[in-house]
Amino acid sequence: MAVIERTQQAAAPARAGADWATRLFDLACIAVVTVLALVWIVPLAWAVDTSIKPEAATTVLPTTWFSATYTLDAYWQVLSGSAIAHWYVNSAITSALITVSTVLFASMAGYALSRVPFRGRGVVLWVILAGIMVPGQILIVPLFLEVDALHLVNTYWAVILPQVATPIAVFIFKQFFDGIPRELEDAARIDGASWFRVYRSVWLPLARPAVSAVAIFAFVWSWNNFLWPLVTVTSTSMMTIPVGLGTVQGAYGIHYAEVMGSAVLGGLPLLLVFLLFQRQIVAGIATTGLK
Amino acid sequence: MVRGTLTRRRFLAGCATAGGALAASACGWPAQGFGLAAPSGGVLTYWNLFGGGDGVRMVAMQDAFGRQRPDISLDATTLTWGNPYYTKLSMATLGGAPPDVAIMHLARMPQLAPAGLLRPLSDDELARHGMSAQDFAPNPWQQSHSNGRLYAIPLDTHPFTLYYNTDVGRKAGLLADDGSLLPLTSPGALLAAFDAARRVTGQFGLAISTANDPATPWRAFLTFYTQLGGEMLRDNGAGVVFDRAHALTVLEFLRELTIGRSLAPSNFDYGSTVALFASQGAGFYWEGEWEVTTFQTARIPFDMAPFPAVFGRAAIQADSHSFVIPRLEHDDPERLDRALIFIRSMLDQSQTWAEGGHIPAWRPTLDSAAYRALKPQAHYASAADSVVYDPPAWYSGSGSDFEVAMGSAIAAVMNGTLGPAAGADQMLAALERLAGTASPV
Amino acid sequence: MPGNVLTLSRAGGAPARSVVATGMLLPFGVLYALFLVLPSLYALVMSFFQTSLVRPGLSDFAGLDNYRQVLTSGDFWASVGHTVLFTVLTTPPLVAIALLLALLADRLRHGRWVYRLVFFAPYVLPSTVVFLIFSWMYTPGIGLIDGYLARVGGGPISWLTDPRLAMAAVVLMTVWWTLGFNFVLYLAGLQDIPRELYDAAEVDGARRWHQIWSITVPLLGRTTTLVAVLQVIASLKVFDQIYLLLGGGPNYATRPAIEYIYDVGFTSYRVGYASAVAVVFFLIVLAISAVWFRIVRRQEREA
Repeated sequence: MAVIERTQQAAAPARAGADWATRLFDLACIAVVTVLALVWIVPLAWAVDTSIKPEAATTVLPTTWFSATYTLDAYWQVLSGSAIAHWYVNSAITSALITVSTVLFASMAGYALSRVPFRGRGVVLWVILAGIMVPGQILIVPLFLEVDALHLVNTYWAVILPQVATPIAVFIFKQFFDGIPRELEDAARIDGASWFRVYRSVWLPLARPAVSAVAIFAFVWSWNNFLWPLVTVTSTSMMTIPVGLGTVQGAYGIHYAEVMGSAVLGGLPLLLVFLLFQRQIVAGIATTGLK
Repeated sequence: MVRGTLTRRRFLAGCATAGGALAASACGWPAQGFGLAAPSGGVLTYWNLFGGGDGVRMVAMQDAFGRQRPDISLDATTLTWGNPYYTKLSMATLGGAPPDVAIMHLARMPQLAPAGLLRPLSDDELARHGMSAQDFAPNPWQQSHSNGRLYAIPLDTHPFTLYYNTDVGRKAGLLADDGSLLPLTSPGALLAAFDAARRVTGQFGLAISTANDPATPWRAFLTFYTQLGGEMLRDNGAGVVFDRAHALTVLEFLRELTIGRSLAPSNFDYGSTVALFASQGAGFYWEGEWEVTTFQTARIPFDMAPFPAVFGRAAIQADSHSFVIPRLEHDDPERLDRALIFIRSMLDQSQTWAEGGHIPAWRPTLDSAAYRALKPQAHYASAADSVVYDPPAWYSGSGSDFEVAMGSAIAAVMNGTLGPAAGADQMLAALERLAGTASPV
Repeated sequence: MPGNVLTLSRAGGAPARSVVATGMLLPFGVLYALFLVLPSLYALVMSFFQTSLVRPGLSDFAGLDNYRQVLTSGDFWASVGHTVLFTVLTTPPLVAIALLLALLADRLRHGRWVYRLVFFAPYVLPSTVVFLIFSWMYTPGIGLIDGYLARVGGGPISWLTDPRLAMAAVVLMTVWWTLGFNFVLYLAGLQDIPRELYDAAEVDGARRWHQIWSITVPLLGRTTTLVAVLQVIASLKVFDQIYLLLGGGPNYATRPAIEYIYDVGFTSYRVGYASAVAVVFFLIVLAISAVWFRIVRRQEREA
């Protein structure tokens, strides 16, 4: 909210009488950033452009943006020929569950570490901080052996459970709770409320920015996680989108339109999520950054 | 604003949960995903690594099996070609949840069989389904054994082949009257042919992939190296017998093609190489025979020939696809029977499979008139007599560490990044490192 | 239940707090212990054995053999070098260009969201999607880049076969993919700078660019610290892009440390050795992160 207010403030018109040099400078800046933005769009635009051309037109030389005909053939091929519909559902289910669980568990843990003085708190905090350093990929093999022993291979649980224990989410909540004045809590507790009631009715609502940030990170990271689902999922129908796309890339030979079609379809869900939740995502990142 | 955010998020979360629940109850796979529904008995699970044209063909064959035996429900999974496939297969078998039947490259036999991951097959079991040793081509049949026992049922042999554009060939004066390629019997003749082709196309004489693809350069190298009489490993990979002189000859020849005379591109990847030949920018193409359908679909005038024996003896790198039964802790005869029924059905459809370019291992098809009439397959079927598989070792096979190490060095020489001498040294060093590592199988 | 807690807290506090703390930490703690701590410990144990992916159990005891092999392995140190090179090549652009773009975009009064959208959108894409798009653009001969070069008479660029260009190709792809995150962080940091400072400088007659140089950039110090630290830590863990685009090639020239671990453990089945590599690499990452963090913190304090 504060961020949005300030955005509006900064957008207030410049002081009357700002001279031409300043205006020219501003215009130059805007021109440069616009050119760079156009360059930034090129890869995605090129991918979409390729995907709506007929296959033969994609490999023609010299390379051109234009084609005599445009068609959605590539998309129909991908939708009918691959299990992409399955992958969408798998990604949606696993990411949704991971997000909800991560927010819930990490906020509780962050609250305990921030607000509940207990013996050994320092140690626990260090153990969790150490986890942030560990690159997930080095744990792939022991994690797989463990998941296998629990007979969970090729199930959603195998994908979900290891991704819920995200130490950085706890850290974000802890930092956030640290920044909230004690008085609020003391006031609530004097009313005789229990720890848990205080947590539920005072802290959690206050933590909306942190919840927002963690929810978004958890969703994006879990959706885009490649290596772990690659290892733990074996049948095509159980794959998530990144893994599914990784397996079809070898399957199309010179069918670049189809490859780009699958890439566009693969990126679409999160792009839509981003479009819908822009403000929250930006606010979430800003909150994390400023703490 | 704030309230709106929460409502939207709650709404979406609700949708997700509802959707998940609905899916879980209505459709099979999410229910399985949650572990709520176990895969039903009587289902045959099958893993393969066939994508692209091969994949489409395999799916057609699977569908035909489904119509033939509606009582057996087939659950087929396609995984990416390469090492991850074998890692997954191994781990799944170790974990006690392997597929009932899987595809395996025969060059991987020295790795998977000694590791105890495959179920050996007996003559009786095969006979029950009408299969016996005489029904299979001798080369792949031999490769299907390890330590005297049978562990795989071969489906095909896929050798490295020479594709050529008949239009370009005719204009370059390289074809005989009947349209077949005039024999090329020396390295010089090969270079001259590619040069003539290049003058016709204006771009390249030969299309070969060397970027992000260690397999193709490796196949070319092994073919020529074996033609010279060279060997690489002994004692199942425990020892190295690398002939540096022969290797140098081959590497220098390959380099001559790409860097020396620019007859072939030095930095094209697999896709752009296929595109190059399909757009008739090159007169010749070196690759396994599996791209035949791609070029037929592109409607270019082309034919295929067995890889020329320019360095002396006839030798062509190849591998074979085969069916294997991953080993289960407790053997299940019903599972084995279902698998064998499926395998027999696939073999009976070898003609369909052969249309994709592969040379069938199943003799009833191989010897049939229908197969002999298949063009251009019939033109290179004789390659099956001179195939050489990858040197046997626990670390060898398609997509293995060995192939990547060898192929990377060879590709680097063809890219111009490494000199031939340095390339040979790198190969030897890699071989010694691999041979010296304790075997994990 | 609330009643009991109340009674306990009146009675003394410490036991009640522990109960509450345990309760709130438990869900996360259990998952953390099961899926992070336990595998880490198991990896540590495996590193002292010749554990194989295709043999059950821990196999033969190896003592420090695996560690000896790691520390003397040319391939390992080369891969660490590639990871460090990648980090060194990506961090400055990802910090500096993000800052530059944020400063430029800050000049806008309206429509800032469009630029935010354009620069941040790539960040939400999966690595596979980014790889597919860039792989197509880099395709020799018929890709977008070679295609444009052909028009202006240049020859095809050997992105995928020249070792130096290959790393550049991955760096370019990574910058496009992840810059948006830093960009948004900087935009947020810029909002935090009070308008009064600019107004005061305006009164003093300072030009716009001078304001940026003497007010904005120094005050973004804290954000820059954050961006720089996060960037280095993330870059040290690089795997997806290099594995997908190049397979660690050409000829292993770009293979990062994480991919070396993956290759040794999964391709060669030598899980015990791979665990030793993982432990050594983890220590290296820890050391680099600690040193880097200290350096950046000190810079920030001095500024």
